[in-house]
Amino acid sequence: MMTAAQSHFAPEPVQEVVHRRNWGAWLLSFLCLGLILAVLRAGIEARILDPELFVQYLFSEQILIGARNALVLGSLAMVLACGVGLVVALMRVSGNPIMASIAAIYVYFFRGTPMLIQLLFWFNAVPIMFGEISIPLPFTDIMLLQAPTTQMVTPFVAALIGLSLAEAGYMSEIIRTGIQAVDQGQQAAARALGMTRAQVMRRVVIPQAARIILPAGGNQYIMMLKSTSLASAIGYLELLRIATDIYSSNFLVVELLTVAAVWYLVMTAFATGIQTMLEKTFPLR
Amino acid sequence: MSQTIISIDNVRKSYGHFEVLKGISLDVPRGQVVALLGPSGSGKSTLLRCINHLETINAGKIHVNGELIGYEERGHRLHQLPDKQIARQRRAIGMVFQSFNLFRHMTVLDNVMSGPLQVLRQNRGEARTKALELLGLVGLSDKADSYPSQLSGGQQQRVAIARTLAMEPKVLLLDEPTSALDPELSKEVISTIRGLADLGYTMMIATHEMSIASSFCDRAVFMADGHVVEDRPAAEFFAAPREARTRQFLDHYADSAH
Repeated sequence: MMTAAQSHFAPEPVQEVVHRRNWGAWLLSFLCLGLILAVLRAGIEARILDPELFVQYLFSEQILIGARNALVLGSLAMVLACGVGLVVALMRVSGNPIMASIAAIYVYFFRGTPMLIQLLFWFNAVPIMFGEISIPLPFTDIMLLQAPTTQMVTPFVAALIGLSLAEAGYMSEIIRTGIQAVDQGQQAAARALGMTRAQVMRRVVIPQAARIILPAGGNQYIMMLKSTSLASAIGYLELLRIATDIYSSNFLVVELLTVAAVWYLVMTAFATGIQTMLEKTFPLR
Repeated sequence: MSQTIISIDNVRKSYGHFEVLKGISLDVPRGQVVALLGPSGSGKSTLLRCINHLETINAGKIHVNGELIGYEERGHRLHQLPDKQIARQRRAIGMVFQSFNLFRHMTVLDNVMSGPLQVLRQNRGEARTKALELLGLVGLSDKADSYPSQLSGGQQQRVAIARTLAMEPKVLLLDEPTSALDPELSKEVISTIRGLADLGYTMMIATHEMSIASSFCDRAVFMADGHVVEDRPAAEFFAAPREARTRQFLDHYADSAH
């Protein structure tokens, strides 16, 4: 009797289960680690960088100003690019053939030419095209603003215009796909409730499109922060320009380029942080 | 019962060269529940979407509550109204869709409040009280703070019905309200719609669900190929269909029920 009960509850001998290991991946990962170590070792053995000077320049006032300028320029340009991009995207989906063509041509030009050419163009051509900028108070002779264009279009202004208009070309396409990803049924439902076309856009389409384009937008923001280095070509004192100015007088090329790279990495981490935070605050529904 | 609230007069609608509605005329008195039946592609959905001007029409006139929908008569021509005025006309015409079409970025409560807040400009407190009351009516008071993606299809459709009712529409258009649901979830939506019929709402329901049409609709309109083939009181329609085309259609349902 006991034995019957015991045998009923006696544990069956447990068979060990062996799953396949991917030995190839482990082999490759050790190979990668070896390569990374070799490169680091080569750099350290050749003493490409003086650590003390590196730290000294990392927190030097000029470099910090350059980093701040890059962050301000990149962020402002991104905000403007989103605004212009939204307008271009709405023109593209407006259904009006002329507006849609203008938007398509805008995207073609601003995406199709190097940003550097655009920056140089805004800095050099605009003051020739418009000798003087004047904004009169409507219906009076009083001038709200009157100045020679060369005075107005500083390297900062030219860089801001150039970067934001170029970026708007990319953003408009991202925004357009976001708008088109919001399903038509919801728009029909909103119109059936009695919302006007503008209300449907503002209350239903854009909030959902904004969430859809957030990852791509974050990517563009990171690209933009690094693209601010192009403004060095028109004499704007951003991070890379200041670093090159310093090393051209003291020849600490690697130290200063590394310093600049570290600050670009910090800015990228900042942008990634904002993106992650927004994605968590507004989860996809 | 005698006062006409929806009047459809010889309406034609084409997509390119393909005519979907070939001259439809229907008058719906206040409080009547009309089942729109017919095979897919017969024009039921298109007709409903013309009534609230989600689709333009090529000829004919549609009046709701005495008002010409979507157009304005000037001389011998009908001119399309501006967006704002069409939006205003749609307030009185509620619509429920096959695919629910809830606003996915809003909670259930915000969905139901969206019409009163954005369109009727009610204050939040007032809209909220009304919305909660309507969620009670469709049996979803406990889901007010959920998002649509957290609800079953049947629950989503009941929220969509509450969202439509929040506008206090004069008529309700239901475009295959149960076609995206399995039989069990259909049941809860059907009982909600039956409740609306009992409350006296004027409804036009495009449906493939014969239990809706036969149990609580006053009238059955059978459409095929853009025409109204048969239009009679629902009881008579199901008991003794007159047209061969109708019998063929109903037989098909009888067969598939076994």
